[in-house]
Amino acid sequence: MLYIVLLFVVLSFFLYVLLGGADFGAGTLELFSGPDHKKSIKKTVYSVMGPVWEANHIWIIILIVVLWIAFPDFYNIIIVYMHIPLTLILLGITLRGVAFVFRHYDAVKDKSQHLYDRMFEFSCLVTPIFLGMTFGALLNGDIQTLEQAPNANFYDLYIYPWLQPFPILTGFFFSALCVFLAATFLIGEAKDYEKRMYMRKAGIAIITVVVIGMVTILTGYFQGNEFTQQFISNPLAIGAVILSGILLYPLWKVIQIGRVIWSRFLAGLQVLLILFAAIGTHFPYLIITKHGSVSLLDHAAPDKVMKVLGISLIIGGTLIIPGLLHLLKSFRMIKVLEERD
Amino acid sequence: MDNLDAARMQMAFTLIFHIVFACIGMVMPFFMVLSHAKWLKTRRPEFLTLTKAWQKGVAIFFVTGAVSGTALSFELGLLWPAFMKHAGPIIGMPFSLEGAAFFIEALALGFYLYGWNKIPERFHLFTGVIVGLSGMISGILVVSANSWMNSPSGFDYVNGAFLNIDPVKAFLNDAWFAQALHMTLAAFAATSFAVAGIHAWQIYKGRNTLVHKTAFNIAIVFGAVAALLQPLSGDVSAKDIAYRQPVKLAALEAHYETEKGAPLYIGGIVDEENETVSHKIELPKMLSFLAFGDFDAEVKGLKDFPKENRPPVAITHYAFQVMVSLGGLLVLAALVYFISLKKKSWQGSKRYWLYFALMAPVGFLALEAGWIVTEVGRQPWIIHNVMRTKDAVTPMPGMIYSFYMYVLLYATLTVAVSWLMARQIKVLNQSPV
Repeated sequence: MLYIVLLFVVLSFFLYVLLGGADFGAGTLELFSGPDHKKSIKKTVYSVMGPVWEANHIWIIILIVVLWIAFPDFYNIIIVYMHIPLTLILLGITLRGVAFVFRHYDAVKDKSQHLYDRMFEFSCLVTPIFLGMTFGALLNGDIQTLEQAPNANFYDLYIYPWLQPFPILTGFFFSALCVFLAATFLIGEAKDYEKRMYMRKAGIAIITVVVIGMVTILTGYFQGNEFTQQFISNPLAIGAVILSGILLYPLWKVIQIGRVIWSRFLAGLQVLLILFAAIGTHFPYLIITKHGSVSLLDHAAPDKVMKVLGISLIIGGTLIIPGLLHLLKSFRMIKVLEERD
Repeated sequence: MDNLDAARMQMAFTLIFHIVFACIGMVMPFFMVLSHAKWLKTRRPEFLTLTKAWQKGVAIFFVTGAVSGTALSFELGLLWPAFMKHAGPIIGMPFSLEGAAFFIEALALGFYLYGWNKIPERFHLFTGVIVGLSGMISGILVVSANSWMNSPSGFDYVNGAFLNIDPVKAFLNDAWFAQALHMTLAAFAATSFAVAGIHAWQIYKGRNTLVHKTAFNIAIVFGAVAALLQPLSGDVSAKDIAYRQPVKLAALEAHYETEKGAPLYIGGIVDEENETVSHKIELPKMLSFLAFGDFDAEVKGLKDFPKENRPPVAITHYAFQVMVSLGGLLVLAALVYFISLKKKSWQGSKRYWLYFALMAPVGFLALEAGWIVTEVGRQPWIIHNVMRTKDAVTPMPGMIYSFYMYVLLYATLTVAVSWLMARQIKVLNQSPV
């Protein structure tokens, strides 16, 4: 059962990054577009992501709930020492969610739309940055717990670990990754001029991803962070990153010949490979503190809890996943694309 | 304000807001679906107009409920990490099932909102029913997790360790049925009276009365039935609390002395320092009867419990009095509505509509008071008789700033959502059927 629970942890994490990430990316894309493009992106985003956008974000709730039930000690370190970025993420999620609904369901369309748009776009930019920062901080090795450092001050415990170059760069890396996902996903929904716009933006995003990714790794390397050392000496991780890079070529080709479904799967796969490289390097030791690594499996919940949770997840999964696929199929995400393919 | 108080205020504050959004998001789909079903059956345009107006309300409240709920799922850990570390594995089951139910609700809502003229009519209606049912189920599941804090079970507590965890037993703890029943009825009563009240105000003002009367009639039926059933469920809850949490019963009734044939206090001013209650009305032997079904049963007073184990008496007692009185007003309003079905002339009077418009906030005020009773009444424990709230709070200092941020955020959201609702109604009134 432990493996089923772990599978759901990884699945929820991946799906949140892919689906939720694409949602965040779409808003960021809108932010960095001119007034004419803004309108068309808004429309496309609404028709593509409207029906699924809420479902996309439930993966993070599933992830949190599974972590706190099954891996309470691991969760506890994240929730205590990442309190500030997590609070900012929450603020972002809240403002983004309400802005999305307000701008589509306000009965009157007037100047307030402008406010909802800005609220939506900025929270789409900021939230993944803090998500990435949190993830980067967990791997960077500056976290220390009160037990490890009883005399440490507020700054050292709760701010310093995430406000460092490596986590900050990880934040920007993740944000750029979201924009790449969104742009690639949206290419299939557009025609002619707009299609070229999304292609251009996807290109800019991927260049940004590569550049920030390199800088992040170099920063980690020169500051001697344990994660980076292991990352660059792990053949599996390096292989995954290289494969992800190689896939850019077929991605570019399938976009050009209009194989939209393929382009989505390829872009998703590329992101998954990068995540796989990042997580796989140190799995299950996903929190690296000043005083050693903390394994996801340290003090996992007792077998009986795992069993009940595993069964709940299987039942939930069999209800949810076909429903989600049917929803995606019913509202163009798959169907319309199939027609075009 | 120290860190613990700030964390408690933040938790209380976010719950107070989330509950309103969540209840409306949970109950309104039922109105929407009923109106939708009537549209399919009669094809009268007012039902379609109403269904479409209500679905926008459902979408707005669902999302505000969902984001404030996401915030809460983080906050449980952010504010009470020591609680979540131990309680997480024990009460995880209802939370994970709630996650599934919530997911299904989001999927069904996706179908419903975007399904007009795209998916078969009956399937479309069915997805609306799923929205309502899965919302209600997730509400019940969350309450089950809360009831475990009042009635911890499914583990052995040995020398500070939580052993032999049985999540199913924890899920089906002794308090869950009474609490889930009471809360579900409260959600229906509060939302229905609020929605009915808003439409009654429009009728009072003479705006688009056909649609608003249709709306009023759909909403009020749910509310009136729930309000009439609520005292019965309150009785189940009272007996449950008397048995399981006698100190909470003593606090909400403000009884300091242990006595047989205890009277019921109505009103009263609590003096916590001198441990007395003045200016109260006493109904002889009624408390013993209501709590134990026996006029001569012994009710334990607060003085029988160590001071450090007593909840704040005044807040609990006043909140309880407020809840019961407001509940009484709802019962009365329910009777007025049912009588008006016979005496049709009542609905012709403007005063009738003004009366229901004034009743709009009553259910929610009662519901909030009820949560104060159950949450403040559980103090000083976060897990009754097992873990104290002060031992669960985050070690991170400066929670006061976090509290200020949430106050600002939720106050803004409340203003924004109310403003959006006002705009919805305005537009609805501008396009009469």
